Amino acid sequence: MEMHGYKMPDDLYYEENHFWVKEEGDLLVMGMDDFAQVMAGEIVYVQLPDEGKRLKAGKKFAKIESGKWLGKVFAPVNGELVAVNEELETNPGLINDDCYGNGWLYKIKPDERGELDNLIRGQEAVEKWLVADIEKYAKEE
Amino acid sequence: MEAKYDFERKYRDQILKCSRCGFCQAVCPLFGATLRPAYNARGKMLILKEVMDGKIELNDELIETMFQCTTCAICTENCPSGVEVPEIIKLVRKDMVNIGSCHPAFKGMNEVLKKHTNIYAEDELEDFERERNKKAEYVYFIGCVGSYREDEATLETLDLLDRLKVDYTLIDEVCCSGVLEDVGYQINEDLVRKNIDIILATGAKTVITGCPYCSRTFNNKPQYDELKDKGIMVIHISQFLKDFDFGVKTEKRVTYHDPCDLGRHCGIYEEPREIIRKIAPDFVEMPHNRVDALCCGAGGGVRGGYPKNSLAMARRRLQEAEEIGAEVVLTECNSCVHNLSNAKLRKQKFGIYNISQFINELMED
Repeated sequence: MEMHGYKMPDDLYYEENHFWVKEEGDLLVMGMDDFAQVMAGEIVYVQLPDEGKRLKAGKKFAKIESGKWLGKVFAPVNGELVAVNEELETNPGLINDDCYGNGWLYKIKPDERGELDNLIRGQEAVEKWLVADIEKYAKEE
Repeated sequence: MEAKYDFERKYRDQILKCSRCGFCQAVCPLFGATLRPAYNARGKMLILKEVMDGKIELNDELIETMFQCTTCAICTENCPSGVEVPEIIKLVRKDMVNIGSCHPAFKGMNEVLKKHTNIYAEDELEDFERERNKKAEYVYFIGCVGSYREDEATLETLDLLDRLKVDYTLIDEVCCSGVLEDVGYQINEDLVRKNIDIILATGAKTVITGCPYCSRTFNNKPQYDELKDKGIMVIHISQFLKDFDFGVKTEKRVTYHDPCDLGRHCGIYEEPREIIRKIAPDFVEMPHNRVDALCCGAGGGVRGGYPKNSLAMARRRLQEAEEIGAEVVLTECNSCVHNLSNAKLRKQKFGIYNISQFINELMED
């Protein structure tokens, strides 16, 4: 759904650094949300770690770069990285073009699905968080 | 007809000397990656002749052509007429900025360096777990890429200097700002002053740089002459490390990528190789090495302004590493490490490191 000029689908979970998460069978899929891809500008590089990498919730496990920004990707839950979007290796701009679809980043096998409850979800919570970050980044600029 | 632009005043004869032979096109990394003749030196000289003849204008339509060049100088090395292409391009860019035609990334960079200490507008300085601004024999000057994009590599280099018991200090460094001169602007005198003052305050007589571009800036830009005048030498880390014995070896097949800023621009080819031969019995050259080395694609502002083409050039370079069966690609330039690492495909299993970083990892093992 549209929220203050950004597409923020309300059926997704959101990690506070602006990564979305959704369930896909036993796995979780994550990507960058619309606010982040707009702020970042054209994405030029996405780090694609090897499958099997252990992920620790809240810990950085990859990097994303645009022309002006280096971002860290934080694991939303404890688990194992089981797949990466290999299209992004030569076409990282997919994140800008279709951040919720073809621009997905990683698939994770979570240790505990219950950890999703630690993420931001629901229109009210998402809007409050988004507005705060819009103001924060506006001040920084 | 009186010359309208500085580039014509200074380089008219050179531009007219271009015989359009195309030797430059055969070696240009940008042409190799894009097959666009206008990006290559011959194409640029043809366009500039048209500008000098008043047939086309220097304006926004020429931004993509004139601001897309890594200034790697392989064209000049191969030019039978001796045309100094990078110098001409840099002055054309200044002329274009003067008339208000500039790539937004570079205009942005100039603005960033008026308000921030580095090209990335990062405000949090990585402390690398080390005190800064101490009195010491050496200053280790990291550079923007090493500080903010390849901090892990930098940490390994610093660990190596500690293992070798080098008496050095980090400083509250700011961007050397030499890059601004390449993209149409002027070196930032405030930043220059800050760097000179902090270096002098340490009492160090030698500055070791992790970045060959910073080394070139300190040594060649008149704004940094005060360092020379006060007897302070500036060297690149490969020059500093060449006489050390490390006591480690790797069995892996190793190759070396010559950074343009260290190789073609400074003539430093052998020092890094002397170091590598001490630690890697299986050292193999890539087909294009030393003065013929292929550019990684990051220089001249291209990584910031034209990242896709920048990474395409890096991929061409890495193909050579793959062809010779390299397991390790060494270089000694954080910009090269950054661009090559970003360009490396998952199926390419070699590692890419600065020499100093790699040696530290061997010593850790």
